Amino acid sequence: MRKIRPWPLTLTLYSLLFFCFIYLPLVVVIVFSFNSNVLDMASWESFTFDWYLGLFGLREVAPSQGTSAIYVESTDQLLNALKNSLIVATFTTIISTTIGTATAIAMARHRFRLRGTYQGVMMLPMMMPDIVLGIGLLIFFITLGFKLSLLTIIIGHCTFLSSYVFIVVQARMAGLDPALEEASADLGANEWVTFRKVLLPQLMPGVVGGAMLAFIISMDDLVITYFIAGTDSTTLPMFIFSMIRRGVKPEINAIATLLILASLIIAGAGLYLRSRRVE
Amino acid sequence: MQPILQIRDARRTYATPEGGTVNALDGVNLDVGANEFVTLLGPSGCGKTTLLRAIAGFEELDGGAIHLEGADMRGIPAFRRPVNTVFQSYALFSHMSVARNVAYSLEVAGVGKSERMQRAGEMLDLVGLSGMGARKPSQLSGGQRQRVALARSLIARPRILLLDEPLSALDRQLRQQMQVELKNLQDEVGVSFVFVTHDQEEALTMSDRIVVMKAGQIEQIGSPREIYRRPATRFVADFIGETNMVAVALTGDGKATTDGGLVLAVPSDSGTGRATAILRPSDLSLTAADCAPNGAIPGTIRQEIYLGSELHFLIDVGGSIWRVTARDDGRDYHTGMRVALTYDPANVHLMPEAV
Repeated sequence: MRKIRPWPLTLTLYSLLFFCFIYLPLVVVIVFSFNSNVLDMASWESFTFDWYLGLFGLREVAPSQGTSAIYVESTDQLLNALKNSLIVATFTTIISTTIGTATAIAMARHRFRLRGTYQGVMMLPMMMPDIVLGIGLLIFFITLGFKLSLLTIIIGHCTFLSSYVFIVVQARMAGLDPALEEASADLGANEWVTFRKVLLPQLMPGVVGGAMLAFIISMDDLVITYFIAGTDSTTLPMFIFSMIRRGVKPEINAIATLLILASLIIAGAGLYLRSRRVE
Repeated sequence: MQPILQIRDARRTYATPEGGTVNALDGVNLDVGANEFVTLLGPSGCGKTTLLRAIAGFEELDGGAIHLEGADMRGIPAFRRPVNTVFQSYALFSHMSVARNVAYSLEVAGVGKSERMQRAGEMLDLVGLSGMGARKPSQLSGGQRQRVALARSLIARPRILLLDEPLSALDRQLRQQMQVELKNLQDEVGVSFVFVTHDQEEALTMSDRIVVMKAGQIEQIGSPREIYRRPATRFVADFIGETNMVAVALTGDGKATTDGGLVLAVPSDSGTGRATAILRPSDLSLTAADCAPNGAIPGTIRQEIYLGSELHFLIDVGGSIWRVTARDDGRDYHTGMRVALTYDPANVHLMPEAV
């Protein structure tokens, strides 16, 4: 008699369903970014690259009857939003990675008064609801007379992304043998040389991981950015959001697909770097 | 001869989490000579590692002084001290090749790359790792990593090499092999070694002198033979090998009487008064009770432990248990048998009762 084992089968089914639940929406977005049906995105007409070409102004998308089919009013606007996002994400990543890493090292290697409080304060921005952080930052900037611009977005992002980097690097730091730094000092290296030749290379997977996280979250943030962006500093998520408010249009799918692709490339590069380091 | 390392009245106090304090070093005095192999031996928490770290410069002393080649080390950071350390965890830099690990101190000192690599190669030859320079530490076995750590700390030609329980992570066989190699290496490079361990066998095997520590203080300093044969305190006698200790009253004529009324023969110059007599299990011999010579200690075998080349016995002598080690000479001993213990009075070590 064959043994029936219902549980492994159920588990497999459950896992499949779970992955569908997570990834099906993304697959739908990708598939329909190639759908030529202008009127009804949900029904498949034929394969096209039009939306991608239209995004970059390479192809004029003719308005069909009854709709205003040029959804991306200006390619310049889109590219400008992308540029803004990249500027914000790059500076935010550099600054918050530096602050987060330095704090993680200081917290792990030095004993000082109010250390516990400091730890809590570093974690707080992560727990804080985005909307509260956004309002708080807005009031802060207005009170101090800051003109809302890319700079205010960068400052705002750094306030909470430093915490993310701190958490990631701190985890790496906790697993590090303190004897490594002692060995370096023992062999004649002062603190700076020890940092450069031993500590930083050992922390690098954590630092790179934290930096990637900061970059992706900064690129992606809408709520906080929305509060502290000036009129001339629209970021990509803000741009997409304003497009959506006027209806979900096919170009959105194309933008989303490109963003997924970019995320995969960054994540892939991170994994590759990490695997090269670990031997 | 001027000692290389002088430690005078070293003191270090830690605060415990409960709010109390503990004296990790409580007035330690120690000299280490050139080319000497000194072992700091004691149970965990005795202060041996704190002392080593204070010499290396990882810990500041609260009081006292450490002089290296006559120079006061107070306020001198670890990276300026002419000593190097082999860590218990080896602390190899996993992101560097073996050769770069070994040459690290040269790299930091600004020595050119070709000379660095050449000297790293020589050091690797010395510790028996020729041709492994290109590997990563993760590709080596535990014993090989140990040798890399040794090579790395010896390449800068320190005046003193500090070793913090470096063999504890190795299995027994490898550990015994490394004990011999370490001692040979020390003879070869002519560097003073200060070696920390809690393993008395390791200490006896390698050391020129052993420093037995307890609760932040030095109990005894002496050669392995002195420490084993003439322990200064009960603690030392207990910590180094197995012992039989019995409280006696010396009668001044080469005799001592135990509280149980047993009369022991002791060295004739022992004086009078209360004392603790120490007899190592290997200094006692077992004979059958009926052919016992005069002055033998009568007893009954309680337990017999067979260890191949040796036999260990627990003997009931008037209510207290004595340990005896004997070679397996094929004679039949069994539990409950009446026996007699014989010994050479010269091997009885006496120490003042209070300690």
